Amino acid sequence: MSHSESHSESPSETPKKTYDFWERLYIPELVKGVAITTRHFLRNLWSERDNNTEVLERKTKSLMATVEYPEQRVPYPPGYRGKHRLVPREDGKPRCVACYMCATACPSQCIYIEAGEYAADDANTASRVIEKYPAVFIIDTLRCVVCGLCVEACPKDALRMDTCAHVSPELERNAFVYAKERLLVGEPVEHPSDAWRHRQNSAEPLHAHKEAHTRIGDGH
Amino acid sequence: MRRLSITVAFVTILASLFGGMALAYALGGYLESVWYKGASALSNLVVLMLVFVMVIATLLTLAERKWSALMQNRVGPNRARIHLPGLRNRSLAGIPHIISDVVKMLTKESFIPAAANRFFYVIAPILSFAPVFTLFAVIPAGPTLPIFGHEVAMVVANPSFGLLYLFALASLAVFGTALAGWASNNKFSLMGGVRAASQMISYEIALGLSAVGLMMAFASIQLAGTSGIMEQQAQYLWKADVSGFDFGIPAWGILIQPIGFLLFFAAAFAETKRPPFDMTECESEIIGYFVEYSGMRFGMFMVAEFVEIIVFSGVVTTLFLGGYHLPFGGEWFANLAFFKAYPLVYGATMGMVFWVKVLLVTYIQINIRWTYVRFRYDQIEKLGWKILIPLGIVNIFVTGALLLLDTSMRTLGALGILEILLIFILISSSPKSSLHKPIGQTEALPSHH
Repeated sequence: MSHSESHSESPSETPKKTYDFWERLYIPELVKGVAITTRHFLRNLWSERDNNTEVLERKTKSLMATVEYPEQRVPYPPGYRGKHRLVPREDGKPRCVACYMCATACPSQCIYIEAGEYAADDANTASRVIEKYPAVFIIDTLRCVVCGLCVEACPKDALRMDTCAHVSPELERNAFVYAKERLLVGEPVEHPSDAWRHRQNSAEPLHAHKEAHTRIGDGH
Repeated sequence: MRRLSITVAFVTILASLFGGMALAYALGGYLESVWYKGASALSNLVVLMLVFVMVIATLLTLAERKWSALMQNRVGPNRARIHLPGLRNRSLAGIPHIISDVVKMLTKESFIPAAANRFFYVIAPILSFAPVFTLFAVIPAGPTLPIFGHEVAMVVANPSFGLLYLFALASLAVFGTALAGWASNNKFSLMGGVRAASQMISYEIALGLSAVGLMMAFASIQLAGTSGIMEQQAQYLWKADVSGFDFGIPAWGILIQPIGFLLFFAAAFAETKRPPFDMTECESEIIGYFVEYSGMRFGMFMVAEFVEIIVFSGVVTTLFLGGYHLPFGGEWFANLAFFKAYPLVYGATMGMVFWVKVLLVTYIQINIRWTYVRFRYDQIEKLGWKILIPLGIVNIFVTGALLLLDTSMRTLGALGILEILLIFILISSSPKSSLHKPIGQTEALPSHH
């Protein structure tokens, strides 16, 4: 690089390549070129192909770097942002509390939420703690830019992009609009800090007092 | 597993070459015995030109893609499958691609532009295919042998003007390309045709001049036959006999005319219009003379290109690589009692030698095509007019002077071997370019800080 800087006066001028005596003879260079392709040819022809999808870890002498896609797939890295999912609780209901943080954070405005309310005397004590739930949760995957800001924004770890899957091809435009039922998939997630966790040997939620604070007028 | 299948493939190729040549001899001998004298020319026409050349050209359409893939660390075409139980999950080395290509070519609409000159538009692909194809008629693929009591020559025609026939017909191919460019009534294809015409005409001179030295050395322009160029290459320049096994330095064209060989190779390569001389086509950016062609009319141009490769390899093998002769041990081989008893087997073996050489030259051509970048137009003309033609003239004078000194070609052979040695020394002593790195060594990725 420093070589070219010293030669050219204006930045647009490309430095002229100079050829030494051996390169000017031409024929040796031609033969060398053919030798390189022949070496690659023989090496790739004669050595067994390693089909490891981790191309850099292939062991054989073959230099082929092809991964034949539909049959072989390169595994996605752990941080890969795939299709969204609404994370379920152990009881199958969404962790989502319909706080609208994701819909607010979304730069392409592809999330639509309508909040619903669990009944105060819901049989499920966990639901009683959460109070709100998404009655409608829609992600328009055609608008989504897969930026992951919704996942960052979620305070309840209720929205994840850890499915390692693409949005599947569809025949109709409407089919790309994912409703709650389609999003509520995958492994349920529980955290020790979850508000609905139960005390040992008790049916009451761990933070039963929280209900007293939040359910105004009920006086529990 | 891969090595096993490659070995099997090689053996299959050799066996089919052997079998094909045995068939050619047997058919020739049979026709000679049941029909008129010289009827074997007809069977040669069918077996050598229609079967051998066409089948190899067809396989070459795939082989070129596969070989280039191997040179570029790719896998190559393997997606076409035969939908039969047991085969549907096998790529079969890409062979089904040939079938799919043929079906595609034949079923595509062969469109004729409204403004095109219909007559010339239709006739141009034929004009570019036929001359190339007929070139092979004078190339002998095996020795003349008595089969079933009749002399069978493994050549369609053996005119005394063999080499001139080659040059004359090779120069006809330019009509096809130039007409295709003009008759399509498209500015770009017209310019492609003009480029083709000027390139081919300028390289024709170099092609002719480069072979003159050879004509002088062998004092013949006949290809086959006892006084032909091919047979004369069976003799040795220097010969030693070790208990009946003969070896030495054969009088091959490449040894007595190395410069002529290089010039001929370059000029003939330019005649085939393939990279690095593909100024006429340039499929990737400038458009060539056959833009307006589709379907099988385009297929004709494509097949012509591959037939050209085979024919060019055949010519180079005949003129410079000793044809069907072995480099040493040829006389010992021919005098084996087994081969004396079964001339058909001997002929088939020698024919196999010829086709192996042809396939080797074909491989070299495809290797060159996938190694070098295209010349600029001025570089092509410069190479033709300023390097090949003057060198060809010098080669003629040097060859003539040496032949005047010594008619036995030994001085010529000594000079040729010296020239080859010089080129080898040049190659081995030239410093390793900084651009080249040993392969397989992945460069360390720049670390991100």
